[in-house]
Amino acid sequence: MIRAFIRPEKEQEVVLALEGAGFPSLSKMPVFGRGKQKGLQVGPVHYDELPKTLLMMVVNDEDIERVMAILQEKARTGFIGDGKVFVSAVESAYTIRTGEVGL
Amino acid sequence: MKEITAIIRRDRLHLTKQALDEMGCSSMSIQSVEGRGKQKGDVCREIDPEMPDTFCTAVKLTPTPSTYAMEHSLPKVALFVPKRMVTMIVPDDQVEGVVKAIVQVNKSGRRGDGKIFVSQVEAALRVRTGESGDAAVN
Repeated sequence: MIRAFIRPEKEQEVVLALEGAGFPSLSKMPVFGRGKQKGLQVGPVHYDELPKTLLMMVVNDEDIERVMAILQEKARTGFIGDGKVFVSAVESAYTIRTGEVGL
Repeated sequence: MKEITAIIRRDRLHLTKQALDEMGCSSMSIQSVEGRGKQKGDVCREIDPEMPDTFCTAVKLTPTPSTYAMEHSLPKVALFVPKRMVTMIVPDDQVEGVVKAIVQVNKSGRRGDGKIFVSQVEAALRVRTGESGDAAVN
């Protein structure tokens, strides 16, 4: 399972790039969080939690490298706050429509 | 312990909760998510589950964001379908039963029924008592 915390404004670009590479399936949810910089200081105003989009997708092991490359290429701006990507193991996946194991 | 993440239809959440209550696995987190699958965000079957799989989306639902974008030569828009995500942590021996129950309740035979993912959880802690492991989950 790949969980990518990205900038909300980059979401469409990333999703369409993933679709073009053959990974159309994902879930997204809006999240609020902060990172190493403990939020954002703009003048006197301190933003403790910043809005991000969490993309959650499950792909086959051999595709992880490709997905990570797309995420890095498309979600990157080079500035602080581009987000993080976490990869964790999924033991099994079921399709509810058929009840079978597999993506 | 295993984590079960099920992405299901919104209108089946109530029935899913009932079915899991009967099994005695009533603890869960529910989140409202938007997702897309192999159909790339086809909302037709979410609106009318009886619609055949061969039905063309663009005919009935105009303007969809993508047809609107095509007509006005805008950049393509990624479509998402609203779903509910149920996350629950259960002991190893209950995984099979919970997955079966979720599949049974949510199965309509149409596309968009959702997916279930099972993954390993390393540790658990009940904050109130400080219990850890399986005791924290039950």
